[in-house]
Amino acid sequence: MWWKILGVVLMLYTIIAGMLIPLSPATAFIDADKTDTGTRLEMTVHGYNTHYTQADDLRVWLKRDTTGYALCANEINPISDNKMSVAFDLPNRVSYFDGATDFALVIDGGTKDGYSVLPSAVSINQLPTRANMEESCAINSLNQRAGITFPFRNILEESIRSLYFHVPLWFAMMLLMLISVIHSVRYLSSNNLLFSTKAAAYARVGVLFGILGLITGAIWAKHTWGAYWSWDVKQNTAAVAVLIYMAYFVVRDSFDDLDKQARISSVYNIFAFAALIPLLFVLPRMADSLHPGNGGNPALGSNDLDNTMRMVFYPGVIAMMLIGAWIANLLWRINWLRLKRLSNF
Amino acid sequence: MQLVHDIFVLLRKEAILEWRQKYAIGGILLYVLSTVFVVYIAFVRVDAKTWNVLFWIIMLFASINAVVKSFVQENSRRQLYFYTLAHPTAIILSKILYNTLLLGLISILTFAAMSFFTENMVKEVGLFALILFLGSMGFSIAFTFIAAIAAKANNSATLMAIMSFPVVIPILLTLVKLSANALRLITDTSYWRDISILLAIDVILLTLVIILFPYLWRD
Repeated sequence: MWWKILGVVLMLYTIIAGMLIPLSPATAFIDADKTDTGTRLEMTVHGYNTHYTQADDLRVWLKRDTTGYALCANEINPISDNKMSVAFDLPNRVSYFDGATDFALVIDGGTKDGYSVLPSAVSINQLPTRANMEESCAINSLNQRAGITFPFRNILEESIRSLYFHVPLWFAMMLLMLISVIHSVRYLSSNNLLFSTKAAAYARVGVLFGILGLITGAIWAKHTWGAYWSWDVKQNTAAVAVLIYMAYFVVRDSFDDLDKQARISSVYNIFAFAALIPLLFVLPRMADSLHPGNGGNPALGSNDLDNTMRMVFYPGVIAMMLIGAWIANLLWRINWLRLKRLSNF
Repeated sequence: MQLVHDIFVLLRKEAILEWRQKYAIGGILLYVLSTVFVVYIAFVRVDAKTWNVLFWIIMLFASINAVVKSFVQENSRRQLYFYTLAHPTAIILSKILYNTLLLGLISILTFAAMSFFTENMVKEVGLFALILFLGSMGFSIAFTFIAAIAAKANNSATLMAIMSFPVVIPILLTLVKLSANALRLITDTSYWRDISILLAIDVILLTLVIILFPYLWRD
C-alpha cells in the first residue's frame, strides 16, 4: 500500500516540479556572426527568460576563449525584457595572429538574472595592423542568479524537461522486463500458472512503457535532432526490444492449452531476455550515437546533469518504476481472476 | 562420454535422413542460387557495401528456411521415441551441430554464387572464413532453438520468422560490421572485440538452450 502512495506522490512531484520550475535566464541567440577588427560591431541580443529592462546593472563583454582577453561593450540599450541592442567599438588588434578568432558573449544581468555565457558568439577577423594590443577589460564581480532553475541549453530549450519522463520510462521498462523474466524462471521451476500470469503482465506493461519511451523519444528527437527517427543505434535497439516482446505475446496467444502456453512462453521469455542484454547494453556502446553517453556526447555525468535536475530526475525514475509495478500488479490480478473463473466452468 | 556418443549417433541420423530426402537440401541450395540470381538481375551492378548487406540478408533468409524444418519433419511419435532413447541435451546439441554444418555449407555456396556473378569482393579471406563459421554457429544456435519452440505451435512458419528476427539482430549487426572489415570497407584494428562479442553471444545463447530445452520437449 505505502509504495503505491509513494509512487503517486513522487509522480505528482516530478510532474509539478519538472513542468513548473523555470529555465535559467540565458542568451538564446544574437544577430551578429562575423566581423573585422577596427569596426563598430552592433548586434541585437535575444535573451530567454531574461529581464533586461529590470536589470539594475547590465554589463556585456566579448571574451576570447583561449586567452581570456575581453572587450567591454560601449553601448547597451535594453529594448524589452528579452531583447537589447549592444554595440562594441572593436580595437585594431584583438589577437597577435591574423585571421579569425572566436569570442564568447558574456552578459551580466544584475542580481535578478545572474550572468550567462554564449560560447563562440562572434568570430572577429584580425586584419593586418601595426597597432598594439590594448589592455583587457576586466570581467569582475559577476552576479549569480537567485532561485531554483533548470539550465538553459541552446538546442534543448524547454525540451530539457523531457528528461524527467523519457529516461525514467526506459529505466522502468528494464525493471519490469527483469521482474517478468524472474517470474518466468519461477514458473519453470514450480509449474504454478500464477507466475506465468505475472510474467506476462509485467512484460505487457514493460512493452507499454517501451512504446511510450519510443514516442516521447521521437518527439524529443524531432525538436533537438530535427527528425522523429534518425536511425540512431539506441532508437533501433529499443525498437527491436519492443519487437521481441511483441513476439512473446504472439507466442503466448498461439497456444490454447494453458500449461503448454505458460511453459513455452516462459522459455521464450528467458531466451529473448538473454538476447536483449547485448542489444541494450553492449551494441549501443560500440557504435556512435546521437544519444548522450555515446561518441563523446554528454550523459548523466557531473557536467551535464546539474543538481536541480537530479532532484527531479531521480524521484522521477523511482515514481515511474513504482507506477509501472502498480499497473502490472493490477493487470496480473485481473488476469488471474479471469483464469480462475474460466477453470471453474 | 555417453552424451558425446549420443550426439554423434544423432548427427549421423540427421545426415542419413538428409541424404534420403535429397529434395530438402536441394531445395535450399536452389533457393540460394535463385535468390542470388534474382538479386543480381535486379541490381545489375553491386558495389562492395551493397554486396556485404545482400550477402547477410540472403544468408538470413536461407538459414531460416533451412533450419525451420529441423523439428517439423519428425512427427511427434518419432520424437517421443528419440526422447526415450537419448538425453534432450544430446538431441538439441546434435541438431545445433548439424545445422551449423548445414549453414556453413549454405554460406560457402552463397559466397561462391555471389563471387561467380561478380568479382570476389572479399579482401581478407581468412577473416571472412572465420566470420562465416561464427555466423553459421550463431544463426544455428538461435534458429534451432526457435524452431523447437515454433514446432510446438500450429502456425510454425510465421511464428519462426516473428520470433527469430529480433533475437538474431545483435548477431546479424555484429556480423555485418565484421565482414565490412573483411571487405576492407572499414579498417577497424580492434575487430577482435567484435569477434569476442559474437562468441559471448553464442556462449550465452548456447548455455540457455542447454538449460531451457529440457523444459521445452516434454508434453
